Amino acid sequence: MFGFIKGLGVTLSQLPRKKVTLQYPEVMPEWPERFRGVHRFIPELCIVCNQCARICPTSCISLSGTRDENRKQRIDTYDINFDICILCDLCTEVCPTESILMSDTFELANYDRDSLYLDMHWLYDNQLKYERAHPDRVTAGSDLQESAAKEEDV
Amino acid sequence: MWNWSGASHLTWLNGLAMLIGTVIVLLLALGVVTYTIYAQRKILGWMQGRIGPNRLGPFGLMQTIADILKLLIKEDIIPEKADRSLFLLAPILAFVPSFMVLSVIPFSRTHVFTANISIGLLFYIALSAITIHGVMLGGWASNNKYALIGGMRSAAQMLSYEVPLGMSVLGVALMAGSLNLNTIVMSQHTGWWNIVPQFLGFCIFLVASTAELNRTPFDLPEAESELIAGYHIEYSGFRMAFFMLTEYVYLFAMAALCATLFLGGWSGPFLPGWLWFAIKVFAFIFFQFWIQNTMPRIRADHLMSFSWKVLLPLSLFNIVLTAVFKTIV
Amino acid sequence: MALTDEAQSIRTEEMILNVGPQHPSTHGVFRLVVKISGETIIEAEPVIGYLHRGTEKLAEDLQYTQIIPYTDRLDYVSAMINNYALCHTVERALDLEIPERAEYLRIITMELQRVASHLLAVGSYLLDLGAMSPFLYVFQERERIVQMFNELCGARLTYNYMRVGGVKWDAPPGWIDQVRDFIPFMRKKLKMYDDLITGNEIFLSRVRGIGVFNTETALAYGLSGINLRSTGFDWDLRKKKPYSIYNRFDFEVPLGKNGDCFDRYILHMQEMEQSLRIVEQAVEQFPSSGPVLGKVPKMVRVPAGEYYSGIEGTRGELGFYIVSEGKDKPYRMKIRKPSFVNLQLLPELLKGQSMANLIAILGAVDIVLGEVDA
Repeated sequence: MFGFIKGLGVTLSQLPRKKVTLQYPEVMPEWPERFRGVHRFIPELCIVCNQCARICPTSCISLSGTRDENRKQRIDTYDINFDICILCDLCTEVCPTESILMSDTFELANYDRDSLYLDMHWLYDNQLKYERAHPDRVTAGSDLQESAAKEEDV
Repeated sequence: MWNWSGASHLTWLNGLAMLIGTVIVLLLALGVVTYTIYAQRKILGWMQGRIGPNRLGPFGLMQTIADILKLLIKEDIIPEKADRSLFLLAPILAFVPSFMVLSVIPFSRTHVFTANISIGLLFYIALSAITIHGVMLGGWASNNKYALIGGMRSAAQMLSYEVPLGMSVLGVALMAGSLNLNTIVMSQHTGWWNIVPQFLGFCIFLVASTAELNRTPFDLPEAESELIAGYHIEYSGFRMAFFMLTEYVYLFAMAALCATLFLGGWSGPFLPGWLWFAIKVFAFIFFQFWIQNTMPRIRADHLMSFSWKVLLPLSLFNIVLTAVFKTIV
Repeated sequence: MALTDEAQSIRTEEMILNVGPQHPSTHGVFRLVVKISGETIIEAEPVIGYLHRGTEKLAEDLQYTQIIPYTDRLDYVSAMINNYALCHTVERALDLEIPERAEYLRIITMELQRVASHLLAVGSYLLDLGAMSPFLYVFQERERIVQMFNELCGARLTYNYMRVGGVKWDAPPGWIDQVRDFIPFMRKKLKMYDDLITGNEIFLSRVRGIGVFNTETALAYGLSGINLRSTGFDWDLRKKKPYSIYNRFDFEVPLGKNGDCFDRYILHMQEMEQSLRIVEQAVEQFPSSGPVLGKVPKMVRVPAGEYYSGIEGTRGELGFYIVSEGKDKPYRMKIRKPSFVNLQLLPELLKGQSMANLIAILGAVDIVLGEVDA
């Protein structure tokens, strides 16, 4: 009998507790380093190997490239269709040069679907934005990227 | 202060005074309702680790006003298949008595706005019963299955809890020897608050009034997870606002009645009467929100048997006990 | 006697009520067509498919690694376990060796996921019954688990964490300590839920003796998980057919007695405690170093044949059945979805019940529509 009084005690004890609400648009959440947000892309590193497009489960990546005078592949276009991207991270997993990476941009609300078709420039801007926001994370990463790029050159 | 209980016949001056008094009480009730809803959302939020409304105005104080404005300017939709005249009548029928019951509540010692009628308690119980018709008609006229079930549940629930509610306050009436709410408060002012000698009656009143107000755990008529919104599912805009207003005016009125009958109304040491009254009313309302935060919903068939098999015998026992006590002492 | 005769002679009409697809407590998009007489249910028919995405068909066109993100979206509140179920089947087919550290990471994430999923099940069940606060409380605890997963694999709901042969990421520094700190915290919270919910008379009166079925019925309908165990039948694949490294841990399988909604509720609470025990032991035994991904061929090709393996998911036996022709993509994939199987009992359970019990029973069967419709 009267087990609900215990429950009343529980709810009352919650009254003065610290609130957990995050005042979202003013206070942004802190995302960990591995967070999988919208992609960022570094065109210089890309070797147009097409692995990302092939592994993508929803085929949302399309890219094209040409050989330059040194017979090296250069990326021309790189588009991700964010209508269907499921942010599964497989493309960054297979990328040999780490030219496609995940950022912590996560707000994708838009008025039309066309603006969800993200091209190379948008993705590169996103990379620059990420660099500005997290200088500590990128310096560690870009060293790796450079060495990776060198390996590819050899 | 001027007191119209002394005025023996209706003159122009008296009439005007009454009209002004009515408007003031109406505005007071509206203000109380607005901030009751605000308090509800804040308290619920705090108890659940949230902040509650905080965007509009300082501490979100304007939130309810904006909500009400939104409801008022919304499109007024009357379903095609609804019984039009009854559909329009129902909110009015539910709403008007909720304000009328406020006329007998003694807000303060100098009961300026209070009708000093000798059957105040009976008046309250009788008028609040009219609201049930509005709710039931609303459920019927909507021509919606959920609304129908909600309306029927509501009618059954409110009718069966009206009985123990009426019985539980009889004890108080016996104690004071009057149905006049002013007299009841006066009798408590000089002696004990009724919550002490009438503790059983107070408990019954608390349960029955929660059911009467359709609040958790007795919120079956609008059980969200079963009936979506119950009897007002088809109502929108200001008609819906009327139903909501009814609900919260009754919450205020029931809190005022509880304070008057059991907690000594405006009487209390040091502080002015109206403040005491406000504190007691708020305590009742807070208790309702607290319960709302803790309890799951009771089941429909348990609800009925609880009223008829537990509350009614208890309240009858309380009346007998009080009567015997009064005869001996 | 005369009264009942009169009651029988009153003409009543049966009414067909559509519960859902837009209804607050159908746990997704689910429709239930109930025929009611007064408030008594005569017949109930679940209508499903509103969330159908054709995962099984899509899988035929995807490499095994590519299927993993799709499994996240089956039972979206326990994505880790779905991930594992697929990887486990493929690993069994390939006869792969899994590194120790990966196995422990899998156990920790899966059991934490079970806690998170059960928390949500309890919270939403209470919300269905009309209690609002527990739903918001469970999200606070679940948030801690979700945040830990976010740190581990970068997503809060669709983890895509497991890989064939191991896991994608190693635990970041300090992660294991976070898990260790979480266990006592969660135990305290479970005690709080016990105080808040388990003793409440109104809650008990709504769930005791409601929606009862016995072991025979449960087995006849192929139920599994808590729905089966609530009838007192001891069946937990973690014990009966130990997969991964579950045989290294000391834990119990809580069993019900009456097979009613209360037993199903209390089993959720007790299983959370047991899961915490497993996590506690796994954290203690966690190897200090080592690889997290075993030696896996670059292109996973399952040898021709048919493979099935089931694991104990949060809602019952979750199994993947793969028919392979030796290519890198399955010829056919069939998912044994516990929610889907458990849902079949619903019409039987609802017959003759009152409308007020409908939600109590549906909530206790605990379905996730993403999994039912797949």
